[in-house]
Amino acid sequence: MIANIKQVEDKDFNIKRSAEDERKLSYKDHVCIGCGICAKTCPVEAIELGNIAAIVRTDANISKININEEKCVLCGMCSVGCPVDALDLTIDNVSVSELEMYPKYTSSATIDDETCIYCKACEVACPREAITVSRDLPDRSKLVSGEIEIDDETCVYCGICEELCPAEAIYVTKDPENPEIVVDTDACVYCLVCKRACPMDAIMAACRSCSYGEYDIDPADAVTTGNTFIDDELCVRCGWCEGVCPVDAAKVQKPFEGELLVDEEKCSTCGACIDICPCDVLSFPESTGFGQTSAKIARDQEYCISCGACANICPVEAIEVKRTAINYTPTKSKSWTDKLESLKS
Amino acid sequence: MELKVNQDNCLGCGVCVVACPVNVSISPEVEGGHGSKTEEVIMMVENGVIKLFSPEKCNKCGTCQVFCPTDAIWLE
Amino acid sequence: MPKHIISGLKYLATIELKKRGYTQQKIAQTLEIDRSTVSHYLNGRNLSWKSIEVAQTITQLIPKDFLMLVDTLLNDNEATRTLVNICKTKTFKTQIKESCIGCGLCVDLCIMKAIKLDDLQAQIDSNWCCGCQICTERCPTKSIIILEVKDDREH
Repeated sequence: MIANIKQVEDKDFNIKRSAEDERKLSYKDHVCIGCGICAKTCPVEAIELGNIAAIVRTDANISKININEEKCVLCGMCSVGCPVDALDLTIDNVSVSELEMYPKYTSSATIDDETCIYCKACEVACPREAITVSRDLPDRSKLVSGEIEIDDETCVYCGICEELCPAEAIYVTKDPENPEIVVDTDACVYCLVCKRACPMDAIMAACRSCSYGEYDIDPADAVTTGNTFIDDELCVRCGWCEGVCPVDAAKVQKPFEGELLVDEEKCSTCGACIDICPCDVLSFPESTGFGQTSAKIARDQEYCISCGACANICPVEAIEVKRTAINYTPTKSKSWTDKLESLKS
Repeated sequence: MELKVNQDNCLGCGVCVVACPVNVSISPEVEGGHGSKTEEVIMMVENGVIKLFSPEKCNKCGTCQVFCPTDAIWLE
Repeated sequence: MPKHIISGLKYLATIELKKRGYTQQKIAQTLEIDRSTVSHYLNGRNLSWKSIEVAQTITQLIPKDFLMLVDTLLNDNEATRTLVNICKTKTFKTQIKESCIGCGLCVDLCIMKAIKLDDLQAQIDSNWCCGCQICTERCPTKSIIILEVKDDREH
């Protein structure tokens, strides 16, 4: 008879059914954000959400979700419903996210390398550490617009220039017998601090204008090149990168649109929602002054993906996440459309 | 997962009693550091040590464990 | 004995295919038997009438039992499909409800290979459906309806 086979590896697992074609549902715990959408969408109630708060806060070695392989029919609704692709159903090794008949969230996150200036603001801001920016800086010596020269006759080897040089480009040897001063032209940035400070006026400068263009800077030499990488597995399409990007190179489309509401009366500031939020949306606000209290939980709605993990985890039901729109590619199947629409609240 | 206590480790400081969001919702006066007026709460300090009264009400949020200075209360 | 029942079924199938206008060669190919055997069957020779009686009884069983029995006797999925489809005495009307989620469980379960998926909806080829109802029983969303249409054949 046809039966599902479950393979468990640490906190990950997969469930397989081989017949006409091979269906395999795989779960990756480190990707899961514990939002519980899978449990809500499963048509056969095969998915159970664990005690997410305890699992996240106590480092317990337990999977965030569990799937009963005897109930699971490998339909793939959890795979399509998962906003972070922690669950993935493959049919004959092709992910349903690549099969046209299956709906798919139209969420995405991209960084345009043409526009990017490689400032790394996104890398720092990304709450999932999903972004890597690697860059090649221009050759500093090519950006220097002049050169200094020291008149050995005038120089008294006092070392003032050496002490002041911010680029550590000047070396003075104060040997009374055989004093010496050396300039490392590759390190010198032609700031002329040495020239201004020299008590003997022993430093001469050859600048752009007096060298007839020898030190003109080619703009091409001043460009920082590089590339950016977004780890799709970790990215939750929260929009932090887009929000902090100074040149609009990062573009993010979220899977859901919605609103996050906190009931100040019920909230007891336990902080579970802050710990679970995959997008660093929630935080404890700082007091604005002595004896002044602010809202119990501060929230930065701009970066909320409306996944509902905070609402699920709250032990006193103080949080409500209202989803007003679900962005997905259309499907001909009414049952699938109904299921995705049911994520609205 | 289950809520567990180790009375030998407990200092009886009562931080867990106050921090527990469920305790506060059952007996709001504990938020101010006062003892609970009812035994309906999950946990309370009795005779200087923590004691579980209604552990079945625990929502497994782990807040008590986060705050306990001596690891005397935890989820397992 | 199992061999005799299969022979009986193949006899019934031979008669049925002859009625449909198949040539002896085509019948032999379809049922994977010798042409001489086909000839014997059609001339009423070398037959155990008892086996035919048993075979007839089997075709009248409820469709699931008929299918499972043939499947067990033959232990060959393709041969089972062919024989059951020829010898079945009933036709079925099939309907898939919109609640179908396209999980494909029915496709995998259908011994007759009558079901395929199209745009996340199951589609049943009623020509191949033997009415066993295995799919309707196991469908997680109870989206399959299979109804018997009429008793249109007599052996």
